[in-house]
Amino acid sequence: MQKRINIIVLESSAIIYEGLCKLMCNPAFDFNFHFANNLNELNQLNIRYNADLVIINPLLIQNMGKEFHAIQKEYNKTCWLALIYSHFDHQLLSIFDGLISINDTAFEINLIIKKNLLIENTSSNQPTQSESLSEREIDVLKLVVNGNANKEIADKLNISINTVISHRKNISQKTGIKSVSGLTIYAVVNNYISVDNM
Amino acid sequence: MHIFNKIFVLPEMKASEIIINNPYLILMYEHFEIKLEVREKTIEQICNENNINTTLFLTIANLFNGYKPLPITAYISEDIQAIIKYLGNSHKYYIKEIYPQIQKIIKDIHKINTHPEILMIEKFFDNYFEEVSEHMEYENNVVFPYVLNLDAQLTNKNNYYKLNSYSVVEYREHHNDIEEKLTDLKNLLIKYLPIDNDQSLRRKLLFYLFELEYDLNIHSQIEDNILIPLVEKMEKLIAEK
Repeated sequence: MQKRINIIVLESSAIIYEGLCKLMCNPAFDFNFHFANNLNELNQLNIRYNADLVIINPLLIQNMGKEFHAIQKEYNKTCWLALIYSHFDHQLLSIFDGLISINDTAFEINLIIKKNLLIENTSSNQPTQSESLSEREIDVLKLVVNGNANKEIADKLNISINTVISHRKNISQKTGIKSVSGLTIYAVVNNYISVDNM
Repeated sequence: MHIFNKIFVLPEMKASEIIINNPYLILMYEHFEIKLEVREKTIEQICNENNINTTLFLTIANLFNGYKPLPITAYISEDIQAIIKYLGNSHKYYIKEIYPQIQKIIKDIHKINTHPEILMIEKFFDNYFEEVSEHMEYENNVVFPYVLNLDAQLTNKNNYYKLNSYSVVEYREHHNDIEEKLTDLKNLLIKYLPIDNDQSLRRKLLFYLFELEYDLNIHSQIEDNILIPLVEKMEKLIAEK
């Protein structure tokens, strides 16, 4: 399933920005690009989109270490990459999670992005990537297709409503099916419920 | 989604060339009531012949090609008329053409694949079709007349009538459901439903679903990102009057 990835690019050149967007493609992700001209714009965009990835031309934050550090600290889940055209001071680059060089090929760029995004994913509490439903998810699914509301499911399984919601989210993510009527068909196909019981 | 080399449509391009690049644009031509047999004409010529604002045409064509629309900031009465005509025509295509076609293929599949799940799909789709029809009828009977009425007020035509205050923002919510069930259906057909001898029918069905999904997606983007901002603008202009 495609995961939407918000990317902000802080860069003064529109040509470089467009070029970078064009080169970055990975069918596993749905990239959503935003262009920022300065640190202030970057901050505004980040408030709005809570970017997964920020790519920065270090020239644009030179001598603004303090301000940049403050933003970086606030969004500690964001991955910060530098886009470098030429040689930069080692210390300036050390504040980034990774580097993209202007001479990198499309393949190399996508590798760097993928590596950094995957690290982000494992560190956050994402559900397991296994495609089949867990036993608990199957319990929830059965109750959903029998017409129970979240509150009723929570009571019957002795779990919180939030847990029910998170199970339902995982079920839809794994199966690609969101509607109750669609999930009912899924449950019949997989013999979780029988047609006669309905 | 069809994989094509994403081009940004410009007025001097050939009307034929952009269809060959992205065949889904044939649907856009139909919704605008532009007839094929476009010969060697440019987009600008085609727009002039059909009385369509070139900017509006380009905005929607580029939406088909995957570019987010630039907000249309100016209120132009002719654009409102054209957008409403476009949306009305696409409703006709959904309700009279593609949904019934999909419904028929599902029935044909049911004839050769007797698994009980297929019957469930048939019911799922019938209910879904009904919901969609209701939604579109609501747009045809309530939303579109409301928009045209605002337009009549602004162009000082005498035939407008006072409407109850009604906000278009409410209706933005309706769209997600329609696309959601389509995705469910696609996933069920690709991943889970037991197959018999219905592979080729199922392929046809999926192609119809992709075609429908493509057009529906553009349709709701036009409503949400072009029509609604314009309506909000018109409401403001009327309030200032």
